[in-house]
Amino acid sequence: MTTPGKNGRRVDLRVRIGPMTLRNPILTASGTFGYGDEYAHVVDLSELGGVITKTVTLEPRAGNAPARIAETPSGMLNSIGLENVGLARFRSEKVPRLRALGATIVASIGGETPGELTRLLGALGAEPGIAGFEINFSCPNVARGGARYWAVARRLERTLRLLRPLTKAALIAKLSPDVTSVADLAIACEQGGADAVTAVNTFVGMAVDLGHVRHKLNRATGGLSGPAIKPLALARCAEAAAAIKIPVIGSGGIMNGRDALEFIAVGAAAVQVGTASFMRPAAAAEVVEEMNAFLEQRGIRRLGDWRGVLASTPEACAPAPKRRKVHA
Amino acid sequence: MIVALEAASRPAPWTQVRGRVALQRDYGAGHLWLDLEVPRGFRDPVPGQFVQLLLVAPAPVLLPRPMSVASVRTVGGRSVLGFLYGPVGAGTLALSQLTRGDTVDVLGPLGRGFPLEAPGTPVLVAGGRGVAPLLFAADGLRRLGRRSEFLFGARSRAQLVGLDDARRRLERMGGRLHLATDDGSRGLEGTVLDLLDKVGPRLAPPLVIHACGPHGMLKAVAEWAMARSIPAFLAMESQMACGTGVCRGCPMPRSEKARALYVRTRGDAPSLFGNAEYAMCCTEGPVFEARDLDWERVE
Repeated sequence: MTTPGKNGRRVDLRVRIGPMTLRNPILTASGTFGYGDEYAHVVDLSELGGVITKTVTLEPRAGNAPARIAETPSGMLNSIGLENVGLARFRSEKVPRLRALGATIVASIGGETPGELTRLLGALGAEPGIAGFEINFSCPNVARGGARYWAVARRLERTLRLLRPLTKAALIAKLSPDVTSVADLAIACEQGGADAVTAVNTFVGMAVDLGHVRHKLNRATGGLSGPAIKPLALARCAEAAAAIKIPVIGSGGIMNGRDALEFIAVGAAAVQVGTASFMRPAAAAEVVEEMNAFLEQRGIRRLGDWRGVLASTPEACAPAPKRRKVHA
Repeated sequence: MIVALEAASRPAPWTQVRGRVALQRDYGAGHLWLDLEVPRGFRDPVPGQFVQLLLVAPAPVLLPRPMSVASVRTVGGRSVLGFLYGPVGAGTLALSQLTRGDTVDVLGPLGRGFPLEAPGTPVLVAGGRGVAPLLFAADGLRRLGRRSEFLFGARSRAQLVGLDDARRRLERMGGRLHLATDDGSRGLEGTVLDLLDKVGPRLAPPLVIHACGPHGMLKAVAEWAMARSIPAFLAMESQMACGTGVCRGCPMPRSEKARALYVRTRGDAPSLFGNAEYAMCCTEGPVFEARDLDWERVE
């Protein structure tokens, strides 16, 4: 289960996320890799840590009106709106295909209410071949059941308590960065029974077409991803990792192996590659190889020895020092 | 169209390769011609298809740029893809700085091209820079031994870029070139639609239109053709991230009829090609038949 390096050297990249063991820490971010099979002719899916599918909802969704995409400096805004095939087709078509491709499948599910999520997980929870579920608590592009609705600690905790008994597979909560405290939400997820937390989904952003005096996206706002958000995501990832004992999966602007290792250094157990796959469909597999090479060069034989080398309680989420005078 | 797509449930696979600049030259009126040599094994695009050009890092832009292919030649056993473009944004500006020997990542071929085998007298309608895929279509028709009519409109004489290339492509099959400029500096004074109005009735029916240009022009061409029950195939543009149907970033609104057909054949669930409401420009397009889109909602 170790990954052979180019020269036959080996680094043990295995990672445990709750009941699930990944062969390496590289996952594809939901919504950036389709249902996995679209890229299967250029990436060996079994070489990835796992494939997180496009978010599935109870019913199919057509998504938002165009324009859905805008490029911004070092990043991109998207407002797709959870276009997806819906539960029935996901189960009958997509899961069997992914299973046949040898992928470790993490199904992303999304709902507007706790009830919708329990129905989804009730239907898929025991589906053979699904190793984990990532609950999309953080879509910035839907009118109902999006990031804002779910950014309430008590709601997250209560919902995860409802979901926990419905599956033995790993349960991962994907959080929005646009909150007062990612740490508080991560703690709520841990207490609700989640096996891991993903930090973070896209940041809400906006772009204006000055020439036409209009928004570049039809819904005005979208989710910002890409290298532009990496420093922001790193900070949130570190904040979450410092606050909870369950693993944190880092996500946000990871373009190569070095980026992935930065997230793991600040405490992430695994990471997701997203926007990079739009540029280079084989990006996730390249990240695995680059990570391997970097660790080998440093003589590190286990990823576990690298994880958290820079983890500490970030000041941003440390308890405020008492009776400290502030000089203006 | 959708039924045909169903038969080929997976489009022929694209690949991502490293292309090498073989030529970059001034093409007049602020336009450039770029030749990219691609390694063996890269499937040749057909007219109307596009590729995603990704600048090698460090690059001033993040995402790859969808670029319509203007020609495919074989040089020394390797394919050379030609592109006609204007450096109008940060991505194309950076592309314009590349010189012979520089590299660019090329992902493709993508999307569906013009159905050049469609029966009827082929009428190629180009607006400005939209001439690029139609030069390639003229090549394709010539290879099929078909004579085509080429209608080309632009703002002024100088903006009729690629005029000589278009003429050369047409001559061999005895095709004719018809020109229009907004300022009357060459050909008919007026738009390419005025030209279509004038020339269309004189051509041997039935006609089949293949067009590319600004969306406003394409909408006018689509409406002109639909009013006369002439099949028209329009190469559309959209913002894109991936170009392969994965990101779902390039929806084009379907007409009522196309929507009903989609539901009949695919149900209400999205597929690689789109969903009942929207077709993806990158996979079902970029070439659409006029009656398949809701032109009122096309941006």
